[in-house]
Amino acid sequence: MLNSLTFLRTVPLLVLLGTVNVALGLANEPPPAEETGSVSLRLYQVEGSVPSDDPNSAVWSSIEGSEFKLAPQVHWPPRIQEVTVKSVKVKGVHNGQELAILVEYNDPTEDPADGAALEFMVGDKQAHFAHGQEMLQVEGGPVNIWFWKKETGNALDMSAKGFKNLKTQEKQNVQAKGVWENGTWKVVFSRSLITEDEQDVQIQPGEWRSVAFAFWDGAIVDGLVKEKGSQKAVSSWWYIRAEPSADNSIYVWVLFGLALAAAFELVIVRKLRKGQSA
Amino acid sequence: MKGPIFNGAIILVGVFVFLKFLLPLFTAPLPASLIYLYVALALSGIMIFGTMSASSLEAFMGPIYRFLSGKGQSGVGQMARLAVLVLFPLLVGWQTYTKLAPSDLPPAENRTIHPAPPGEFVGLSNPYPKVPENIMMGKGLYAAYCSPCHGANFDGKGPAAPGFNPPPANFSDPGTIAQLQESYLFWRIKKGGVGLPVEGMPWKSAMPRWEEELSDEFIWKIIMGEYDGAHQSPRTWEEEE
Ligand code: HEC
Repeated sequence: MLNSLTFLRTVPLLVLLGTVNVALGLANEPPPAEETGSVSLRLYQVEGSVPSDDPNSAVWSSIEGSEFKLAPQVHWPPRIQEVTVKSVKVKGVHNGQELAILVEYNDPTEDPADGAALEFMVGDKQAHFAHGQEMLQVEGGPVNIWFWKKETGNALDMSAKGFKNLKTQEKQNVQAKGVWENGTWKVVFSRSLITEDEQDVQIQPGEWRSVAFAFWDGAIVDGLVKEKGSQKAVSSWWYIRAEPSADNSIYVWVLFGLALAAAFELVIVRKLRKGQSA
Repeated sequence: MKGPIFNGAIILVGVFVFLKFLLPLFTAPLPASLIYLYVALALSGIMIFGTMSASSLEAFMGPIYRFLSGKGQSGVGQMARLAVLVLFPLLVGWQTYTKLAPSDLPPAENRTIHPAPPGEFVGLSNPYPKVPENIMMGKGLYAAYCSPCHGANFDGKGPAAPGFNPPPANFSDPGTIAQLQESYLFWRIKKGGVGLPVEGMPWKSAMPRWEEELSDEFIWKIIMGEYDGAHQSPRTWEEEE
């Protein structure tokens, strides 16, 4: 009798494995505590145009942001031990074509040399957060830097691979607009999600990318610009992702899975009943 | 309730509890996927054992077959059977959902904190004697170069620490330098984050490559100052054997 049911031997195994798998999935570790700041930035999907030239647009107050801590740049010389910008609030949106990222941070004075930058890994190779500096055992990739400065009023689209290789790209794809008010800078960077330029980060909705931040307080102290060049506030890599559009096909698959499992059971139980009465 | 199924279940639960709850008391917790793999391995072992001979096969599978077919079962048995029959498709549906649902969580990171050092750094010993002058000098250099990140109290809480992920190591924690030999620190300080192999995720580390600014002598003395200040001692060769 059992012989005719040989294939059924795998059923309990499947059921057991499935149950164990799910139980473990539920017992999974919770996401890391956010007390030290955020770990990722979400670009919310919006309808219509993105607020690329309006740091005060109502769109920004309708979404949640992230907050990242910053450090005085003490990683490579020339260092700086104390900086003005200690943390930054960041929000992002996209509409499937264009993206806009708002950075908001405290800086008591508005100065021509004030600056803000976003840095991204480009391509498949990992790049060191400090300008894609050379790594000794791993072949690194380049970084794409979007650099806004108050005195130019716009953003430069730049590339780097190593400290001495920071250069302005031939194809400029990034815009930026900054507004200073009551000790707070709000700067919006914008770009198309995808560009034709292989030196640029390509932001495909649904895919994770790495982003880092840098800020310069260009105030004049004792006749010198306080923060410039490598003397700035920095972060290391955090994650960024443009929200993918809602995908309802997943519910179809869930129903399919349910139906398949139920049909499977039906067949098994019928076979078993027949087998046992035979 | 006795028999091979019961025994098998006890073993599985035991393996799970051991891996998930007991092991982390002694070492770093295992990722859930690995725990799953080990439990699945244990399960296949039990299955193979249970189905080795015809009689053990019947002993193992018979009750399951009878349970699923629902023949001659009491009320409680029928309820349990119904529950299993309803639960299984739901679990499959739930599995499908969790596997396909877009996650808002960034990719999980499995950074190896203490990867193997390159061969030329293995077994080096500190050439400078552990005398107060050297320790003092090491501490002074530490205060100048390392404390902005690793903290004046050797606790990883320097003023620059909050911006970096991973955070600067906390030397007063028994999980860092107390686990390491001096030669390992020499490598890490000399080559910095960029010197890590791929499993150490060098692209994320803010640890500077100090060979560009500090002599070997300074580095060895800093190591002395670091252990002394953090109230730890290096792991020695004898313990390694
Ligand atoms: C810019 C911040 C920064 C400075 C300055 C810095 N470190 Fe680090 N250090 C880090 C970070 C971040 C890590 C953890 C990541 C890693 O292991 O690379 C680290 C890790 C280490 C480790 C490895 C500890 C372990 O458990 O593996 C040692 C040793 C170390 N640092 C020593 C030093 C010494 C000595 C100095 C001064 C000469 C120094 N660091 C200066 C950021 C810094």
